[in-house]
Amino acid sequence: MATLELRDLRKSFGPVEVVPGVNLDVAEHEFVVLVGPSGCGKSTILRMIAGLEEPTSGDIVIDGAVVTQREPKDRDIAMVFQDYALYPHMTVAENMAFALRYRHVKRADIRRRVSEVARMLEIEPLLQRTPRQLSGGQRQRVAMGRAIVRDPKLFLFDEPLSNLDAKLRVQMRTELRKLRDAVPTTTIYVTHDQVEAMTLADRIVILNHGRIEQIGTPEDVYDTPATAFVASFIGAPAMNLLPARLDHRQLRLEDGTVLPCPLDGARDVLCGIRPESLVWSTQPSGPCLHGTALTVEPLGADTLVTFLVGDTEIAARLPPRSIRRAGEALTLMLDPAVVHVFDQETGQRI
Amino acid sequence: MRSRRRATVIACFLAPSLLIFIVYRILPLVWNVVLSFEYWSPLHPATWAGLDNYQEMLQDDDVFWLALWNTLIFLGSQPVAIALALGIALLVNSDLKGASVYRTIVFLSYPLMTVAVAIIWHWMYNERGGLINYALRQLGIIHQPIAFLDSFAWALPSIIIANTWQVLGFFMIVLLSGLQNIPPHLYEAARVDGAPAWARFFRITLPMLRPSVFLCLVIGMLNSFSAFDLIYVMTNGGPGHATELLITYIYKQGFVSTRFDYAAALTVAQFAILLLLTWIAHRAVGGNAGAIE
Repeated sequence: MATLELRDLRKSFGPVEVVPGVNLDVAEHEFVVLVGPSGCGKSTILRMIAGLEEPTSGDIVIDGAVVTQREPKDRDIAMVFQDYALYPHMTVAENMAFALRYRHVKRADIRRRVSEVARMLEIEPLLQRTPRQLSGGQRQRVAMGRAIVRDPKLFLFDEPLSNLDAKLRVQMRTELRKLRDAVPTTTIYVTHDQVEAMTLADRIVILNHGRIEQIGTPEDVYDTPATAFVASFIGAPAMNLLPARLDHRQLRLEDGTVLPCPLDGARDVLCGIRPESLVWSTQPSGPCLHGTALTVEPLGADTLVTFLVGDTEIAARLPPRSIRRAGEALTLMLDPAVVHVFDQETGQRI
Repeated sequence: MRSRRRATVIACFLAPSLLIFIVYRILPLVWNVVLSFEYWSPLHPATWAGLDNYQEMLQDDDVFWLALWNTLIFLGSQPVAIALALGIALLVNSDLKGASVYRTIVFLSYPLMTVAVAIIWHWMYNERGGLINYALRQLGIIHQPIAFLDSFAWALPSIIIANTWQVLGFFMIVLLSGLQNIPPHLYEAARVDGAPAWARFFRITLPMLRPSVFLCLVIGMLNSFSAFDLIYVMTNGGPGHATELLITYIYKQGFVSTRFDYAAALTVAQFAILLLLTWIAHRAVGGNAGAIE
């Protein structure tokens, strides 16, 4: 178990700066998820922590020791790659034992540890198979087994579920959560899937263009997003961001709707409303949004409806069968207390 | 009904190639085997010879054994050529500056006609004006020129060097494509796992290159058994029979001595040896040659 510290970590590829300075402290046993859209630099940060990319500047500190210049093998980390990176010509057992061989672990101990981890991950019957004889989910487990068997200070996961189909991804996510509790090693997990981030993380780091937009617990980033980017990234469907005018404790939307607001001052803002914050009622009262349904997607447990407010298309998550088809008029109630307000220019929360 | 029509369509598409294959490959092969059990020459009708040709080959013909030995030496040089090609492939696959230029230079030798290669190297080995003798004398390594292609000791190694130079480019390209097909994540995983560079080479690169190495081995093997033009132009099997290979010996028996029956028996022997060696190579790479990992 270990702590991890990133001190002003920067990375440039030629003239392109992909990570323009990241500072992060990860506590012992903590499960931190780096999340962001493709190309935001999250995998580059992970690869720098692993020692597979050399930082342009800054330091990586594991358990109090600066390891920036150390080889990957000398950092006592284990990594699970996006495509698993299992050695195709070796059996599952050989794959899992590979790293231990170079750590001078005795053969009997290697056998015991491989067997223990295989039992924990329920892959014992697969030990003599080669990776191409395994399904995607089984390969995923073997890749995790190969990391766990090392008993490293730090686990690094690079989008480990992205190659799985939707159903298997949900199943593996649950298993990862169980595994997280069973093996409480400090973990950095990279994903572009905000659901994975929300369900697995102790803390989420949201990245955009290499910069940290917000660090916080899943509840923090959902309830109080620090920027409009975080607001639109966390949550599915994404938070609706409507251009509005803040005018002395009032928010005036494009369609003329006026919402009460605790903020003072006068400026252009983005008004953030989560789709699940819009309430459908047969007898609406208080502040409401009016529109005509553009699309209706019945999902079983609820129905996703889109409609126009001014020129902005917004989404609402409504009870099942509340709206049946596109074209129906709708009026949705809105609790002004759950409206998020962001500066239109900087995107910062006000 | 539908599957029958489908089978007919498939047969129609296959027929032209199959016909050419049977006429030009299978029939000559069968006829060659039959011929090896007969006495036959263009001026005499065929008579049954039983195993006489084979008996002569195995018991009475010293040149056959010499040609076989030379062929095996030639064959033995192929793994050396493959190892050299692998070294070059690793170099040009690295971040070496100008790697693509070196890659092209090394490959350039392969598309050359073998006769051209033989003439170039014949000139380079020349005792009087040859580049190699000139260079060795300038470097002070030798004082008297060496008649490379007329020497019993040097002729075969000289031809092997010329042959290696020609096939090196092809082997390099095959191995390079194999190297570039190895997912880079495997090396990264191995680095994280703590495998040193030598272990990454022996435990990842080499096993992953098996199909490419097998392809090079088989092509090298075929090349050793069919290097007729190189030998014919450079030494014609001489001095004496010092550079005689099975293929040149078969040619001489058939088209110089007009002993087509005996040449047929020699051809069958060469065919059997090739089959055996291909099987050994297949086993050596784990019995899954050509498999895509």
